[in-house]
Amino acid sequence: MRTCLLCEQEFVPPIYFAPIFSFKQSRSTRICSHCLQKFQKLTGNYCSFCHKEMDQGLVCLDCKKWQQMYPNNVLHNHALYHYNLAFHDLMVAYKRRGDYVLREVLQELCYEYLIKTDYDYYVPVPTSPEHQDRRQFDTIFAVYGDILPLTPLLKKKTGSHAQGEKNKQERLKTPQSFFIDSAVELDESIKTGKILILDDIYTTGRTLYHARDCLRRDFPKAKIESFSICR
Amino acid sequence: MKYKLPSGKYYCRGCIGLGRASEGNWLIRLPATDRFEKRKNDGLTWQGKLTPLQQEISDQLVLNFREKKSSLVHAVTGAGKTEMLFQLIATCLSQGKRACIATPRIDVVNELYPRFQAAFAQIEIGKYHGREYKEPGLEQLTICTTHQLMKFYQAFDLLVIDEVDSFPYVGNAELHFAAKNAVKNTGMRAYLTATPTNDLLQEVKKGTIQLLKLNRRFHGGLLPVPKEKLFIKPFLNKRQQIHPALLTEIKKVILSKHPLLIFVPRIEEIPTYLKTLQDKLKMKELKMAGVHAQDPQRLEKVQAFRERKLDVLLTTTILERGVTFKNVWVIIIAADDAIYTTASLVQIAGRVGRAQEDPTGLVLYCYHRYTKNIRTSIKQIREMNK
Repeated sequence: MRTCLLCEQEFVPPIYFAPIFSFKQSRSTRICSHCLQKFQKLTGNYCSFCHKEMDQGLVCLDCKKWQQMYPNNVLHNHALYHYNLAFHDLMVAYKRRGDYVLREVLQELCYEYLIKTDYDYYVPVPTSPEHQDRRQFDTIFAVYGDILPLTPLLKKKTGSHAQGEKNKQERLKTPQSFFIDSAVELDESIKTGKILILDDIYTTGRTLYHARDCLRRDFPKAKIESFSICR
Repeated sequence: MKYKLPSGKYYCRGCIGLGRASEGNWLIRLPATDRFEKRKNDGLTWQGKLTPLQQEISDQLVLNFREKKSSLVHAVTGAGKTEMLFQLIATCLSQGKRACIATPRIDVVNELYPRFQAAFAQIEIGKYHGREYKEPGLEQLTICTTHQLMKFYQAFDLLVIDEVDSFPYVGNAELHFAAKNAVKNTGMRAYLTATPTNDLLQEVKKGTIQLLKLNRRFHGGLLPVPKEKLFIKPFLNKRQQIHPALLTEIKKVILSKHPLLIFVPRIEEIPTYLKTLQDKLKMKELKMAGVHAQDPQRLEKVQAFRERKLDVLLTTTILERGVTFKNVWVIIIAADDAIYTTASLVQIAGRVGRAQEDPTGLVLYCYHRYTKNIRTSIKQIREMNK
């Protein structure tokens, strides 16, 4: 019996044969099957750029606008889940309340996918210093740091407001607030390598585009994509 | 379980909704220094009348408040507990003292608040729960959830905890700690329940709490004793179709023209039952809906059912207590599910026969295994009827 991190009810984790016979260490489940079911996977037809689920078509409206702004240079984003009420509640508890242990729930949602990816550099989207001071942890770093080797290349300027508190128009107008941390030691290979930028939620794409542009300036030949748990 | 921040400091998940407290934080608490005027008028504007049995309990509560003796009111579902509190609260307020009514459920706070507002029209009442965020004020009368009690330290002369047997208060050490600290050392506690828990009954035995028992509903009728029905095959088969015997039972209630509440153990099952019922009943004019805790239209649907705009309402345990529907009959599907405690089953059965004109009705437990909770709940109802 284990206690679910979300509903605090006791549950028996499901047992699968494969992990018993394999030598790989498997991760222990932290939430019950009822809570897990509330997170809706992205299935069916989706935008070939940002992974937004759509009834039909190849490119979503958001990405059509990005196409105008960045001709032939639209960011390719990978996402796994719908941003629904369950996910919203989880993010409120994790980010606003600062419930650090909930990173394990987020890890559970994306672990299987991420360990199979093959990029040369994984760059987390940074938290502003003010938020980090208040929460005493970096929300993105905490989630992905245990799964992947991270290269914290990006930094955020102080005094930038959180995206979550703005509406869509305000978000889209947000100015660039990232800069490259020159203290990080880099291999020559980054100039032509594959980079994956990691964030939690893709809403308008503004944050990830800024992050990409910032990296692009220093590494014009690198192949840059992004990942968010939610779209 | 203990949870740490990256700095290695422990933090508390129990009260994180009120702002994260971690090792090294300062928590400052002071006994409240509020002073309220004594008043000649006790503020009670309620004009109703109590039955003799209710009056007896009400008088005893007032007496116990004067003598600072904590009390447990064990009153059957539909006994009119709220009305029995009015005189107690009025006595407390008239002495210039501070009172609080706390309950584990947000829905019950929402139901109690307008009733007390109507009963104490000139008194300002503070209403606090997690979905209505504001810092606590200094109102003389407060109605809040038990979680909110963590924000009060030796603040109240009278603390009433309604539905003390319900989740999440029951068995929760943090909330019991909060309830203990919210009352002044010289204050009085009153617990209200239809299904007292063992720890409270232990305290009654030790003599620290006085038990006040009310075995009759306000209309004087008996509690409906649940009927039981054993099912061998699953309620929903592999093709998601409802058990024919269960369908017959549901049909019977609909033909009797009673509104029907159907309790199912899990939210995910509600749409499946709705669909199969709509397919099988073939009654076009029949209106059905399902409701659960996360349903954004929850309040509207409950109100529609109350006004008989819906004939059948499928629900989870959120409607087990604190709500009244006229003439309603109840069917519990999978009454043997672990989610139904003895208290839940007694409360659900207590939804039936609450009106003066229609004091009887059907409560049906459908089960595969006859559980201890089913047995004790029926035993408790029979005992209260003696």
